[in-house]
Formats: sequence, structure tokens, C-alpha cells
Amino acid sequence: MIELRNVTLKYGEKVILDKVSLTVQDNTIKAILGPSGVGKSTIIKLMLGLIKPNSGQVFVDGVDITPMKEADLYPIRRKMGIVFQGNALFDSMTIAQNMSFFLRENLRLPDEEISRRVMEQIRFAGLEGYEDQLPESLSGGMKKRVAIGRALIFNPKMILFDEPTAGLDPVSSRKILNLIASLKKNNDLGAVFVTHIIDDVFAIADEVAVLYQSKIIFDGPTEQLHESEHPFIRSILSDKILEL
Amino acid sequence: MPLTLIGNYVDSKTLQLKELLLTMQEFFYFALRAFSTLPKAKRYWRDVLDQALICGVESIPIVLVSSISIGALMSMEVGNLLEEFGAKTMLGRSTSNAVLRELGPLLMGLMLSARYGSRNGAELGAMQISEQIDALRAFGTDPIAKLVMPRLLAALIMFVPLIALSDFAGLQTGALVAEYYHKIDPGIFWNSIYPRLAPKDFVVSFLKAPVFAIIITLVSSFNGFSARGGTAGVGRSTIKGIVASSGLVLVANFYVSKIVLDIMH
Repeated sequence: MIELRNVTLKYGEKVILDKVSLTVQDNTIKAILGPSGVGKSTIIKLMLGLIKPNSGQVFVDGVDITPMKEADLYPIRRKMGIVFQGNALFDSMTIAQNMSFFLRENLRLPDEEISRRVMEQIRFAGLEGYEDQLPESLSGGMKKRVAIGRALIFNPKMILFDEPTAGLDPVSSRKILNLIASLKKNNDLGAVFVTHIIDDVFAIADEVAVLYQSKIIFDGPTEQLHESEHPFIRSILSDKILEL
Repeated sequence: MPLTLIGNYVDSKTLQLKELLLTMQEFFYFALRAFSTLPKAKRYWRDVLDQALICGVESIPIVLVSSISIGALMSMEVGNLLEEFGAKTMLGRSTSNAVLRELGPLLMGLMLSARYGSRNGAELGAMQISEQIDALRAFGTDPIAKLVMPRLLAALIMFVPLIALSDFAGLQTGALVAEYYHKIDPGIFWNSIYPRLAPKDFVVSFLKAPVFAIIITLVSSFNGFSARGGTAGVGRSTIKGIVASSGLVLVANFYVSKIVLDIMH
């Protein structure tokens, strides 16, 4: 379980997050919805301890990670996988090397076990035959699947997705959303995904938190979003999100 | 009204100073962390080797070009000057001082700052912008140990032989110019160097190698890690890195010479 409690984050004088509180339960898909540049990706980085809040606390499985040093955060971070918006694949490494890199870095596993785990993820991502290709030779959807495979390599309990369908064509977007949904169904994994696309939220999210002007203005089951009277949410539901 | 303007000016200057001090503090911590990860060199020996190839072997041509040109230029110009005083036999000594102690290492430092520093800044900046550095941290790898330490160690190791090569090539070129341009016998040229060579000449020369290695690697890497704002940000941080490291190389070149020569005079 991940919990943000009264988190405030500022860059200089600019308030990015203002006393934000939200909880992500295990085996739940939670969407964080909001317009571009509002600080949604920042929430994911706070959950991983990649950035520290100015005030408030972030709990992962009941442990407050805010005062932790970088080295102490590494085992906590391995409980979660992350898929970055631009995938953050290492462009000088092949697909198999991208997936095996962190296993070799962090766990003393025999080569056979590393190969077995990598092949497992390559099959899961539907990328058999592409093991030795460089990321630049893959399509956007395929790169995203490599990034998801890499995120699963430590068998995490939760995966964090930063705009998982941004820049993808509708068919690839649908495949990625199905993949996220199947992670919960088949692997009992929870997921947090930030997005500005409301259709993605209704497609797979169990819960949604809406971030607007540095504050969470809605946090609850996805189906209850229709009941909100907040003008911003009403405008989202009227399909105006892209204009905001 | 003028008071308000003065107040605003003071405020903006105070803010700039605060930002500068903050950046210096961040750089200091960054450098400390880079040095503290040196014991992990065994784990990342492949990265160290890769970087040694890039900053060492692949830098040989540019180091040769700079040392040959400085050797030739010094020998030609100083030879012309000494001729006026009838002291052409001292050409070897004059050239060796310039090549070994001052201009040779300085030019090499500037060239490596442009070549290796820009490469570091651009590569790490691109990794920062594309969130690859965040990915390393997110999956439990220390990016300073993986990316900065190998660059630092490789430069510390490789800059010493590069200086030696630069000294050798610079002096040889100086000797050739002395022989064919000034018609000085090579024996006279070298005889004016060998008996007068002192340990301080080599200490000054070789001490500059690790100093430049630290400056170029850490400044360019720090700027790469600090890149923000897309591809334009990578360009900005790379330029900032080259300008800062080149400036510091110039300053360090003077102070290393001064300190060593003061101590060993």
C-alpha cells in the first residue's frame, strides 16, 4: 500500500502539490487524472522517493520513506516497478540487456536464472524474436511493452505508469491498457497510472484521484466520478480535457 | 521610485548569489559522492575500461595535434626571438619549459575539456532528460557509481599517459623545427634540455593531469546531471559544462604551476 499524507511540494515559489493526501491499496488500479503539467508525474516520483516533499509524508507498506537516505530507499523501490513516459530504455543496450541489467546490478543470480526471468518477461510482453534488437528499432507500443517487462523484473507488488498511452496509436493504447488490466487479474498486481486521457481511466481504473491546481479535488471509485459537482470534473466529463 | 529600483536590483543580485552558492554546495556534494564511490570500481570495471578507451585512446589524435602545434610554434617563435640575442643554443630549454610545464598541459586540458567534457555533458544530459538516470535510481542503481565514477577513474588513469605523450610529441616537434627551421644541431637542442631538467618540471606537468581529470569529469558530469528542459536544456548544460571546466582548467593551470614552483624552487 502507498499513502501520501498532506504532501506539499514547491519548486522555488511555485506550489506544485498543496497538502495532497491519497492512498493506493494493493491489487487496485488507481488513476491520477489531471491536465498536463499539473504535477501528476511528480506524485509517482514522490512515491518512489526520487524526490522529497517540502512537507508531509509518503508511506510504502506502512514505512515512512520521506526521511530515508538514497541507499536505504533501494529495497523499498524494488517493491514497485515504474514505466516512465518516454520509457527510459537504455538505447545502447538490446531489449534482453535492458531487462536483465537491473537483475545483474542488484541481485546475485546465476546467469541461467537471469535468462529465465528475462525470457519470461519477453514472452509476457509478446516480444519473442526481438531480444537482440536495440530499442530504436522498435515501435512506440513495443518499447512500452519492453518498459513494462523491465518494470516487472523484480516481481513487484505495484507498478507505476507515467502516461502509459501518451503518443501511442489507438490500437497500441488499447493493447497497453489491456496489459495493465491483465497484470491485476493474472498477477495480483496493483497499479498507479497518471494520465490526462479520461477514456483510459474509465477503461481500467478501479479508483481515480483528480489533481487540479495543486490539490486533489476528487478521490474515490471511478464510477462515482460522474456524481462530482466540481466544475473542472464536469468539464472533463464533457470531454473538454484536451483544451485545459 | 529610485529606492524601489535599487531594492529590486539588490533583491535580484541576492537571489543570483544564493543560487550560485546553492549550485556550489550541490557540486561539492556531487564531487564527494563521486569520490566516495571509487571503491566500487571493481564492480564497474567494464564501464571504467569503456571510458578509458573514450577519454584515453580516442583522445590521442587531438592531444597529438595540440602538442605538435604548440611544440612547433614555441620552437619557431622563441627561436626567432633568441636569435636576436645570439642565444639560439638555449632554444631547447625554452621550448621544454613551455611544452612540459605550461602550454602543453594547458592546451591538452582545454582540448580534453572540449572533447571529453562535451561528450560527458551531452551524454549524461540526454540520459537525464530521457529519465534514464531516474530509471537507474528507481531500480536501485546508484547513478553516480555507475555513470560518474567510471568517468572520473578513467580520466585519472588516462590523463597521465596523455600528458606524457603530449610532452614527448611537443618536444620532438620542437626539436624538428629547431633542426630544419633554425638549423640548430639536435645535439645542441637536447643538451640544453637534459642537464637542466629538474624534478619540478615533471611534478608540475604530471600533477596537472589528475587536477584536470577531476575538473573536466566532475564539472561536465554535474552539468549533465543538472540538465533540464528538453533537448535545448541538454545543449545549455553542455555549453555551461565546457565553459566552466575550461575556465577552471585555465585557473588550475596557473595555481598548480605557482604552488609547485614556490615549493620546489
